[in-house]
Amino acid sequence: MSGSLDSYLVLSGLLFAIGSFGFLARRNAISMLMSIELMVNAVNLSVVAFGAFVPKLQTHAAVIALIVIAVAAAEATVGLAIVIAIYRNKKTPLVDEYDSMSQ
Amino acid sequence: MPITDTIPMTGIRWDDVLFIVLAAILIGSALLVVTLRDIIRCGLALTSSFAALAGIYVLLGNPLVAATQVLVYIGAVSVLLLFAIMLTQTKNAPTRLAFQTQAWAAAVAAAVIAIVIAVTVTATTWPSSSQRLWTSTSDIATMLFGTYVLPFEAVSVLLTAAVVGGIFLAHREADRPGEDQV
Amino acid sequence: MINLAPLILLFPLLGFVLTGLFGRSFPREAHRFAMGAVVASWVVASFVAAAALTHGFGFGDHGTGITLWRWIPAIGFTADVGLFVDSLTACLLLVVTTIGMLVHVYSLGYMEHDPGRWRFFAYLNLFMFSMLLLVLADNFLLVFAGWELVGLCSYLLIGFWYPRRSAAVAAKKAFLVNRVGDMGFALGIMAIWTQLGTLNMQDVFAKFGAVPHEWQIAIAALLFCGAVGKSAQFPLHVWLPDAMEGPTPVSALIHAATMVNAGVYLIARANPIFGHASEVMVVVAAIGIFTAILAASIAFTQTDIKRVLAYSTLSQLGYMFASLGVGAWTAAIFHLMTHGFFKGLLFLDSGSVIHAVGDEQDMRKMGGLWRKIPITYTTMLIGAVAISGVPPLAGFFSKDEVLGGAFKNGFLWVWAIGFVVAGMTAFYMFRLIGMTFWGPSNVDPEVEPHIHESPPTMTRPLILLAIPTALLGLAIGFPPETGLLHQWLSPVFAGTIAAGGHTEAAYNFFGIDGALAIATTALVAVAIVAAWRLFGVEIPVLRLRAEPRLEEVEAASQAPVLAQLYRGSAAKWWFDDLNDLLFVRIGGRVANAAWWFDRTVVDGTVNGIGTVTTGVGIGLRRVQTGRVQNYALGIAFGLIAMAVGYLVIVR
Repeated sequence: MSGSLDSYLVLSGLLFAIGSFGFLARRNAISMLMSIELMVNAVNLSVVAFGAFVPKLQTHAAVIALIVIAVAAAEATVGLAIVIAIYRNKKTPLVDEYDSMSQ
Repeated sequence: MPITDTIPMTGIRWDDVLFIVLAAILIGSALLVVTLRDIIRCGLALTSSFAALAGIYVLLGNPLVAATQVLVYIGAVSVLLLFAIMLTQTKNAPTRLAFQTQAWAAAVAAAVIAIVIAVTVTATTWPSSSQRLWTSTSDIATMLFGTYVLPFEAVSVLLTAAVVGGIFLAHREADRPGEDQV
Repeated sequence: MINLAPLILLFPLLGFVLTGLFGRSFPREAHRFAMGAVVASWVVASFVAAAALTHGFGFGDHGTGITLWRWIPAIGFTADVGLFVDSLTACLLLVVTTIGMLVHVYSLGYMEHDPGRWRFFAYLNLFMFSMLLLVLADNFLLVFAGWELVGLCSYLLIGFWYPRRSAAVAAKKAFLVNRVGDMGFALGIMAIWTQLGTLNMQDVFAKFGAVPHEWQIAIAALLFCGAVGKSAQFPLHVWLPDAMEGPTPVSALIHAATMVNAGVYLIARANPIFGHASEVMVVVAAIGIFTAILAASIAFTQTDIKRVLAYSTLSQLGYMFASLGVGAWTAAIFHLMTHGFFKGLLFLDSGSVIHAVGDEQDMRKMGGLWRKIPITYTTMLIGAVAISGVPPLAGFFSKDEVLGGAFKNGFLWVWAIGFVVAGMTAFYMFRLIGMTFWGPSNVDPEVEPHIHESPPTMTRPLILLAIPTALLGLAIGFPPETGLLHQWLSPVFAGTIAAGGHTEAAYNFFGIDGALAIATTALVAVAIVAAWRLFGVEIPVLRLRAEPRLEEVEAASQAPVLAQLYRGSAAKWWFDDLNDLLFVRIGGRVANAAWWFDRTVVDGTVNGIGTVTTGVGIGLRRVQTGRVQNYALGIAFGLIAMAVGYLVIVR
């Protein structure tokens, strides 16, 4: 099982699905960001899995994975800074209240 | 005594066992992240999922990425998340619902996504070898600072921008008399 | 000489434009230019008419025309502005311009104190222009233009005192009833165009024989429709009595002497068309003579002096149409001319009477005026004698020709009804004279001391009109059927008369013609004596004196059968009520239903589309919650749909 690409990819897909459920279903903004991290990691996993099983993509996959980790870190930083700024304005971390663009 | 490929009594390979254990921890922690009511516990579950993921990276023959995962995610991102959680806590957070009204639709969507991906993946024949390959660090270094030097530099600029931006966004305004402060 | 004809039109048009534009600024002088324009037009028209009647100066037997310019240069449809003058045109020109000029002079005095005088003269000039355009036009479209214009002038002039509600209503009624007839006329013109491809009247007459017979009948009937509207024949007669709301000069000019003759002129001018459609001719005669007796019966009971004269006009117009219908074309034109003069005279006289008794129009409040307003009395008496058909005044000759023509062309029923109407005419005219001028004075005591004769500007036209009233018959109609008028007009009608197959037998005084003339005169004499007995008479010169016996009139009006007739006559035979019921009430309900439909269904649909759109917008707006998670769910579902779609459909 661990020797085939499919199982890693299915694992990655499952992790992505869980992450998307969390993003769509949770009320707290920080929870949404955590779910986003899960999704990014799922993608990263699939990239590294491809690198491990497809000879041509070996090093490329690793480089991509490294860069993705760096970018995800930067994105988490900025995202959390925004959430903190909104929290100061709306006094709540619940995304229900962030609806000033509604009709 | 050298480690054998399979567990002595049974014919199960160590790799498979490791994979199943790490996968279980990963999926379990992920589920906890999205279902627990207390956010701090969610954060801790997230950290454990990062750790399990790092283990899977090692299993995939990529120790550098695993190390980076531990350093960056567990070392920096998780800490950042925990700080942010503490800065945005409200008094009645644990008592109210954790889920939106659209949680059921979201569950359905997530399930369908998982099924679609699984079906697609297993139905495709990938041009892969049956052996896991081990990536050497020096190859990665050559490629990173060679072919991919431009993305590398861009990422450094991005990180600088993120740091500056983060500071600016989260900066508390200077005290003014009579103004309501959070 | 024909080149002078446009001047006849130009002068009144200029008069209208200048008086209309500048009259308000110069109210005291407004009449001068209008007066001058009409006189100039009369002078030119007299020359042109004289030339045309004597067949000299290039006019020839059948007249000539002149084309002024191309009016509608469209492809497939062209119309020119052109004028055509022949003997028939000349007769009409003389009547219209002479009476028009005299009415203008009369109006100087009659409208002296009216602040809207400048408007009045402007409208009068516009009317002269329109009527002359109608008479002079050489193609049907131009006639129609003149036709509509005279209708407009009629509206403007009837409603001249527009602050008075009854005047405004009467003007509207006249215009609308006219419109009904005009629609028929317009359809007739369109039919002529589709059948013949030209609207020039002489061309149409030349080619009319080639048209299929059903179309000939249709065109003739439609043209007759227009004439019915303009000349107030049954059933479109209801506007003429109400038109008396206008000032008396208007009644004299438009509704007695000129505009109502337009219908007669149209049929006379289009005699080749009618010659081919003898069925329509019978209808024309029937409607004409029916109108004559209908109007005469109503005139018996009217108490407003102008209304009696209005019904009298209707009756005499009926005579003219009956004459046209039986084929006595020249007699119709003869009666048109004499009627124009004596009816104009009678109306102007009535205006003078009304002016004398302080604007009172009810005859029951007049009486015994003959000593006090002698000129008016004398001229009115002359007019009444003329219209009654007493020889040797004008009315006798023209009426006699009409009746003789009816008898000799085989329309005995037309002759019989016309014979009775002649007697009725004499009776009600002398009833009018009796109630107005003879007998004891019933005038309002406060007004009595102020009764005065009219100023010279009003009496001179009366005297001038009395002359042709008395003498015109002798001048152009004697000897009967061979007089001047017949010589003038025979080329115009010769073709139609020949095609009709009637050969005009020579007038035989000692035969049938003499018998008819004597019979008619006898009936008229009986009627006049009856009127004298009931309503009084005072002619000292002839030692005729009798007191009115109004109690006999009262008794007659209460008698069983006569009472019903009296009531019906006084109620104008309920035609106005019928029209009111049909068109105002029921028509009003239909119009209301249509309005409801338009409001509810049509507007409802349009508004409904707007409401639905807004509603859909409000509904769709709920998608915009402003929450990122809802949007993200949408994205997720979209993604799933695309992926599943790809998997299922493509693979």
